[in-house]
Amino acid sequence: MPGLPARLPVPVWLLILLLAGCAVCGHARAEQTLTPVPGKVLAPDFTLIDTNGKQHRLSDYRGKPVIINFWTTWCPPCREELPSMNRAWHTIREEGVVMLAINMGEDEDTIFIFSADYPTDFPILMDQSGEVIEQWPVKGLPTTYVVAPDGRIAYRAIGSREWDDAGLLDKIRALRQ
Amino acid sequence: MALLVLPALGTAGVKRSTNEENGLKKWHFTDSIIAIELVQRLPDQTRALLMNHNFSREVIEQMALSCMFQTIIRNTGESSGDNRLSIDLSDWRMQFAGKEGPVMMKEPLLDSWSDTDADAAARLVVRWGMFPSQQDYQPGDYNWGLTAYGIPPGSRFDLQVTWQENGVLHQGTIKNIECAPDVDKLK
Repeated sequence: MPGLPARLPVPVWLLILLLAGCAVCGHARAEQTLTPVPGKVLAPDFTLIDTNGKQHRLSDYRGKPVIINFWTTWCPPCREELPSMNRAWHTIREEGVVMLAINMGEDEDTIFIFSADYPTDFPILMDQSGEVIEQWPVKGLPTTYVVAPDGRIAYRAIGSREWDDAGLLDKIRALRQ
Repeated sequence: MALLVLPALGTAGVKRSTNEENGLKKWHFTDSIIAIELVQRLPDQTRALLMNHNFSREVIEQMALSCMFQTIIRNTGESSGDNRLSIDLSDWRMQFAGKEGPVMMKEPLLDSWSDTDADAAARLVVRWGMFPSQQDYQPGDYNWGLTAYGIPPGSRFDLQVTWQENGVLHQGTIKNIECAPDVDKLK
């Protein structure tokens, strides 16, 4: 690449401000919906490493509902929903529900710097090449799927949600076997 | 297949506003179950994003000067009803300088770049940062991303937007949209 270093020291917070333009700020919260996915669409399996170096294979979580969120640090609505995801995680982690957030296209350092402003306690998996997201029917970010204990995709949500919404979590709990 | 096209009537509306903090203008279009928000994006905002990835200088300028808007499309329909919204950006048309044309689509843009224009990681930023070309939205769903119109900074244009509600094609128009000026035009 002539003349351009691979990474310039642009602070993450500056990029966030520039990208967002506060486009989604102030939007009145609508109903927190999960769209049922009809039929028996099996979730594509994957094996990815999280930011702590732990390997996660989706099929290892058979028997539990799995929330799978695709996101990036430069996506404003992705950031918007991270705090509620973290609150939801603390609510459901002891209830047999798994939550995995798959970061698309970024490296560990970028996510680490970002996590100073948006701390999360659930696993952040890295799909740096974008190969896993291409296996899923994702069109834009964020998109979240809820995989049922039998491995089928049960629900889909396009755009951010308030994940600690009681009604939304009850739908996920109801999937437990 | 011939589709009935229904113009936006009655409930359609466009509100224009300006962010007092940064001066960026916003157009907010609403109709029965759709809300479209277009927020000006300064060329320097695009430059700042792309310079953090492996794009050539030529591609960075191409993108920065292509009249980009932060775009949000939301299905505002009630979840209790059958309110499926479908968007296909290839159906949208813009009127600029007396001519009608399509909006920029990310697929041909990505195809036009060589490996020296953008590496694989950089392509992911455009692949996932620009608005999805086709997508279905159920009530409560929304997506965001960049739309681009390929005309110079500061230009004005009309945008004819189309969408389908449960397979019925609708259309509306957002008039007199302004591309953000480049830095040399800012006071």
